[in-house]
Amino acid sequence: MDENSGIALDAVSRRFGDQTVVDRISLALDPGLILGIIGPSGAGKTTTIRLLTGALAPSEGTVRVLGEDPRRYRRRTRERLGYMPQQFSLYEDLTTVENVDFVASMFGMLAPRRRRRIPEILKLIDLWPARSRQAGKLSGGMQRRLQLACALVHDPLLVFLDEPTAGIDPLLRERIWAELHRRREAGRTLVVTTQYVTEAEECDVVALIDEGHLVALGRPEELRRTALGGEVVEIETAAPVPLSALVEREDVIDGGRVGPNRYRLVVEDAAEAIPAIVDGLTASGAEVSATREERVSFEEVFSLLVRRSRGQPSDPGTPETESDAEAAA
Amino acid sequence: MSLLKLLVRILAFTGKEVVETMRRPGAIVSLIVGPFLILLAFGLSYNGVHRVLNAVIVVPPGSGLPTDPGSYRAFQTQGVQVTQVMSDEGAARAELDSGKADMVIVAPEDPKTTLAQGRQATIRVEYSVVDPIRAANADYLARQVSDEVNRQVIKQAAAQGETQGAANGVAGANAIPPDVLAQPTVAETANLSPTQPNLISYFGPAAIALILQHIAVTLIALALVRERSRGRPEIFRLSPTGTAEIVAGKIIAFLILGSIVASLLVASLLLAFHVPILSSFALVALVLFLLLLASLAFGTAIAAVSDSERQAVQLALLMLLTSVFFSGFVLSIDEFQELGQGIAAVLPVTHGVRLLQDLMLRGVFSTGDAVALAVIAAVLFVPSVVLLRRSLVEA
Repeated sequence: MDENSGIALDAVSRRFGDQTVVDRISLALDPGLILGIIGPSGAGKTTTIRLLTGALAPSEGTVRVLGEDPRRYRRRTRERLGYMPQQFSLYEDLTTVENVDFVASMFGMLAPRRRRRIPEILKLIDLWPARSRQAGKLSGGMQRRLQLACALVHDPLLVFLDEPTAGIDPLLRERIWAELHRRREAGRTLVVTTQYVTEAEECDVVALIDEGHLVALGRPEELRRTALGGEVVEIETAAPVPLSALVEREDVIDGGRVGPNRYRLVVEDAAEAIPAIVDGLTASGAEVSATREERVSFEEVFSLLVRRSRGQPSDPGTPETESDAEAAA
Repeated sequence: MSLLKLLVRILAFTGKEVVETMRRPGAIVSLIVGPFLILLAFGLSYNGVHRVLNAVIVVPPGSGLPTDPGSYRAFQTQGVQVTQVMSDEGAARAELDSGKADMVIVAPEDPKTTLAQGRQATIRVEYSVVDPIRAANADYLARQVSDEVNRQVIKQAAAQGETQGAANGVAGANAIPPDVLAQPTVAETANLSPTQPNLISYFGPAAIALILQHIAVTLIALALVRERSRGRPEIFRLSPTGTAEIVAGKIIAFLILGSIVASLLVASLLLAFHVPILSSFALVALVLFLLLLASLAFGTAIAAVSDSERQAVQLALLMLLTSVFFSGFVLSIDEFQELGQGIAAVLPVTHGVRLLQDLMLRGVFSTGDAVALAVIAAVLFVPSVVLLRRSLVEA
């Protein structure tokens, strides 16, 4: 990681009284990426963001952002940061445009640039029609979009967004993520918290937090593999075949029967494994009627990871065992 | 370029505060219409004249004094109106107890005999007043009544003596009239002040100073505390705007708004109440600017030590109360001990009242008071900004 342009948390804990809200979290992020901090409500996502913004000091460990201690950001560094807090903290008596103009001015943007940039950002997040409406009279979703506009208006190098898509309809969420991707392509770094686990796919790196612990950290596909042990394929045959013919193969890590002649297998690499399995079954006289690579939803992936982290039994939706299937038959 | 950015950051807060304030109709009412109405009500209703006290005179039988209330009309000019003359002292005191009378004057039983014996006769004056200022006035009036009675007695004795002297052929027995003998001197007064203001003219500038101080203190204290209570420090701390810039932006905003209010109030004094300005408008404007600045410094200090909007309002009201008592607005500062005078010295309104009254009514500019306002502003701003940095930017 580039220490002077990225983010690094080293064994960071934060306690409030005797309650540990963030517990020895370590992570590093290179610039130009989107880090998604994902976890259930109360997991410690906002506290982690506030540690990165310097609003909170760590009880233990060190935090470095753009090579600096967030508690002592220099003015020059602050000019390059953007932040959208979870709570609405803009000015209810000011209109949409006035709020964005105020924040842009607070970041020292001169009038010509503000005149150009403000309509652009408001149109992007679909707030231009409400530009003259006072912020206090906007709906909850519109207020969040207004906060997002304020966080992005000065085109910051590094942005912290605390649940930017909460309460926003799916179509607009898509547009917001498209804008965040566009910024990433422009070399900007984004740290985003979200309760929508499906949004993990939008991120380059995902940090899954639960009860203050970092449960998993990596690219979305890596997390999927971590949760499931590999990639998942589903095989359907014309007639039942012994499960052992599948799970005992070298390229199959695990598997189970999910129907009378449907099998769910965990493999190292789906693209390589599927043709090999089909060839094998065909050679043994079985007829394969369908194959497909199953993209397990992130909800399932995170559920698995969280349960594993908490030491709870596996998700009932995981591939069933042969004995279970035979008993069912 | 960085200077330009600094200016943009400061003016961001200035513009925001002005727009926010103007968007609140209640604030506009309390800012401009409210103070104007207070001033108008004050000017129209206060005449500063003490109420005439109703007196009952007890004339003991055989005292030789008249029993007709009209005979005592001379007392009325002293602020006392004789409503009844009775001989029963108990009945007169019952009038006093019931509140129908403010004062009971008990005449001596036989003043002529007492005087002839070379002794002083006693006029007893009783009143029942709790208010110490009214009590002092009643006491003063009682002595005035006593003096008036003495004059009447001397006048009657002198007239009697002169008549007897003339009858006995004493030369020059009536050379000096009894009136002159009873009151050998009369006072001739002259006020050399450049103006003789009425009560509105005198208290008007002081009321403006008090209203402006209260508005400035309350507005900036609430504006700063509100930023904190709405969670905005989290945004501020990640912006390049520092505490001093935030405070500076708000000060400029409230100087602008305060100047508008001050202009309206001064204009109302000049046009509606015909209060003069014996000095220049520029000096009045300078004083109003300094008064607003020092008051804003006080408001910033209140914001720095307040942890909620409620506490800020309470402290602003305490400051208003302190100002009413100690600033010389109601009670003269000279009447206070050193502690009170010290408190008065640190209040912007004390200097503002003196400066405005001097400029408008005497045409004099007190440099010491102007410097005091500047010192109050400078001394309060620095520690307040340091304290606010902790709560406004450093979470």
